[in-house]
Amino acid sequence: MSDKGSGSQPGYLTRNMTRRDLLKGAAAVVVGATFGPMIAGCGGSETTTTTAGGVGAVKMGGHLRVAAGAGSAKEDLNIHGPALTPPSMAMRFNMYDSLLEFDHAGVLGVALAEMLDPNADGTQFTVRLKSDLVFHDGSAVNADAVVYSFNRILDPDNPGLAAKQLRGLTPNGIVKVDDLTVRFELEVANAIFPEALSAYSAGIVPVGYDPKAGDGAIGTGPFMLAKPGDFQPGIQAVLVKNPNYWRRDGGPYVDQLSIIEFADTTAQLNALLGGAADYCQMIAGAQREIATGAGFSLLEAKTGSWIPFTMNCMAKPFDDVRVRQAFRLIVDRPEMIAQAADGLQWVGNDMYAPFDAGYPADLPQREQDLEKAKSLLKEAGQEDLTIKLTTSTSVSSGAPAAATVFAQQAKGAGVTVQVDEVTGDVFWGDEYLKYPFAMDNWGTRGYLAQAGFGSLPGAIYNETHYGEISPKYVSLVEEAFGTVDDAKRNELIKEAATLEHEEGGYIVYGFDMQVDAHAANVQGAMPDFSGLASAAGGSRYRLVSLA
Amino acid sequence: MPPLLKILIMRLGLGVLTLLLVSLVVFAATQALPGDAAKAILGKDSADTERYEALRKQLRLDRPLVEQYTNWLGGVVRGDLGRSLVGAGANVTDLIGARVVNSAILVLLAALVSIPISILLGALSAIWRDSKFDNAVNMTNLSLASLPEFVIGILLVLVFATAVFKWLPSVSNVNSLLPLAGQMKLFVLPVITLALAVIPYVSRMLRASTVEVLESEYVMMARLKGVSEPRVLWHHALPNAIVPTIQVIAINIAWLAGGIVTVEYLFTFPGVGAGLVDAVANRDMPVVQALVLLMAAIYVLLNLMADIFTILISPRLRTGLR
Repeated sequence: MSDKGSGSQPGYLTRNMTRRDLLKGAAAVVVGATFGPMIAGCGGSETTTTTAGGVGAVKMGGHLRVAAGAGSAKEDLNIHGPALTPPSMAMRFNMYDSLLEFDHAGVLGVALAEMLDPNADGTQFTVRLKSDLVFHDGSAVNADAVVYSFNRILDPDNPGLAAKQLRGLTPNGIVKVDDLTVRFELEVANAIFPEALSAYSAGIVPVGYDPKAGDGAIGTGPFMLAKPGDFQPGIQAVLVKNPNYWRRDGGPYVDQLSIIEFADTTAQLNALLGGAADYCQMIAGAQREIATGAGFSLLEAKTGSWIPFTMNCMAKPFDDVRVRQAFRLIVDRPEMIAQAADGLQWVGNDMYAPFDAGYPADLPQREQDLEKAKSLLKEAGQEDLTIKLTTSTSVSSGAPAAATVFAQQAKGAGVTVQVDEVTGDVFWGDEYLKYPFAMDNWGTRGYLAQAGFGSLPGAIYNETHYGEISPKYVSLVEEAFGTVDDAKRNELIKEAATLEHEEGGYIVYGFDMQVDAHAANVQGAMPDFSGLASAAGGSRYRLVSLA
Repeated sequence: MPPLLKILIMRLGLGVLTLLLVSLVVFAATQALPGDAAKAILGKDSADTERYEALRKQLRLDRPLVEQYTNWLGGVVRGDLGRSLVGAGANVTDLIGARVVNSAILVLLAALVSIPISILLGALSAIWRDSKFDNAVNMTNLSLASLPEFVIGILLVLVFATAVFKWLPSVSNVNSLLPLAGQMKLFVLPVITLALAVIPYVSRMLRASTVEVLESEYVMMARLKGVSEPRVLWHHALPNAIVPTIQVIAINIAWLAGGIVTVEYLFTFPGVGAGLVDAVANRDMPVVQALVLLMAAIYVLLNLMADIFTILISPRLRTGLR
């Protein structure tokens, strides 16, 4: 299933090309023998995309209406805070830009930055902005804005989402060099600092930025709010084309972009079927046939998002590595994907970050082996094991189904799994990160960024606690963070990932496919590797036009 | 003091007391639920304790419960419903204003459509008792009453908006920034769904009471006097038959005001029902309180109005007051 639809998809969706290209791009920035700067149109790549027909063939104007699910009044447009819902993420992607950016193919390149120049040991990164850029309100994008933006992210009273990723950066390390140049001086080497600069939550905003709902939500993106009231949390945002948009490769093509919010996925699809929307983000597996049957087109993207089973290496019975290994052998992955995800996933191998250049793609695919699982459990003295598996639809709509499939498959190894489905508040409550056996939901990330969030001791989302029982693993990851040499770092990543594959606490049975549906006249939507909010280029609708 | 006024004042006082109790129960319930607004906002990110604690402080969730409640209550007494705990922390009045208007229009339209139809169907069924018409109405009513309103709604969407015909909009995302007059089409399917949920109860009630009245001695007397059959029905029977039905109508309108939750959810209608679902999920206490109190107030007022109305139109009760 992992190859599903790949014949018609661009080549970057194949694992081998993607992250290697990305890291090659990043290599020019961060590491490598030459360690040269990243310059637009030269060493690095400007993240540009061209539509199939070329600019001349694209029809300008019109109103693109995008239906987005799981909307709620809790969302806002503060780019430095977490985007709490898919619709608010779609709005942000279209309103803001960061210094760097991954393009839809997973290649890291410059965005608002014209050049990124790292020093030899990965502790200093100098960024020069493109000249003559302006924000939505007409003010200049300059070094002051960059300094303000990163100080705002690092604010100790209200830290931004990107703060943890900007490892090694403190407010003292943000230095204005001249009107267009800023130097980031890190306290520790951070080989993936450019990746952190590309995060959507590291968006560049004007000095004094502090939006209240739609009021003051000012960025540099292709679309903007004409007036604050056009953003109604939980209901919709109506954005208009930014007349001063800085990219010269085409777009935005439509005059108006509405992100319409739905609480219910059926209503969301009905909006498309009934003609109230042109584009429907993230439909469920079973909805694909309804959409195609009614004459709509699908956009499928193979992403690095994953919904693992998490075994707590510090809790019984998973403190015994043989139990962890047995549980990984219980899973019939293709069967689970077919039953629990309507086929909307591709097979995983108990490791995350499949697009990372260090990903050990050559390790043999783990498959179900109930006999071996039984014997491992017997060795561990855990025959006839009964265990609770905590899950929630708030982890992922398909998580409870996957848990049920796991429970069925576990019977074959003599293990009784009691699926405990709870609401989101309970799941993320006091027991989260303490469950012996649970599930979680992660987006697409590079290996080190992910390990920093989930696997290192002290990580915010430390579910498996693997780092706490494996000093060897921790030292490998720490060393990789400080290793600016591309090849060497990738070797370290490969070793760390292999260790997790052998004895870690994640069961990574699959990665998500993201599917959007749209009307036939919607053109220029590109599948994206990130899987953020939408299958289409991080829901960037700059290059989408209405024929 | 006129007795009716006395009743009115007493009942209003009781109503205020009811609302106070409701607000206490709602507050206690939101506290009893696991998690808090900060957790509901952050979800998985509440594992980031720094951010979680900062947000709790910002939302004043770190204050003692009694202080939180009395602060809120003090505001309500002054006419200030407080600020939402989520999003940009908007004023609750601003936040729910448009939703209240939308839902009020929806309920009003549903009542305007369903009550006359119910009365007509109930009366005709009673007159033509056991006829083919009566049986057909009965069968339809029973089937409709046994279907949850979201099933009716989904079927209506399939038939009139997506799969069979595309006559009507499948979603009713009324835009409060635009004039409502141009958006009446968006109300059609939700109104029909709600009307179909209400009509069975009201019309069956009216049929039953009309049948009873039509067999009463004073109707027989009227008929023996030679009064024409329409006059017997509209002048003698219905005004008496409608008394018990008024209570049913009041309860149904109150149900409409509170029970539109699923219908609003189904049609993505930006009303109080959908707002309440979202606010509960977000543990947004001020918004939950405002919406629940509003619904409770409507309940109290409608019941009061029904009682007063009943007293006014039934001769026995009216004279009993003197």
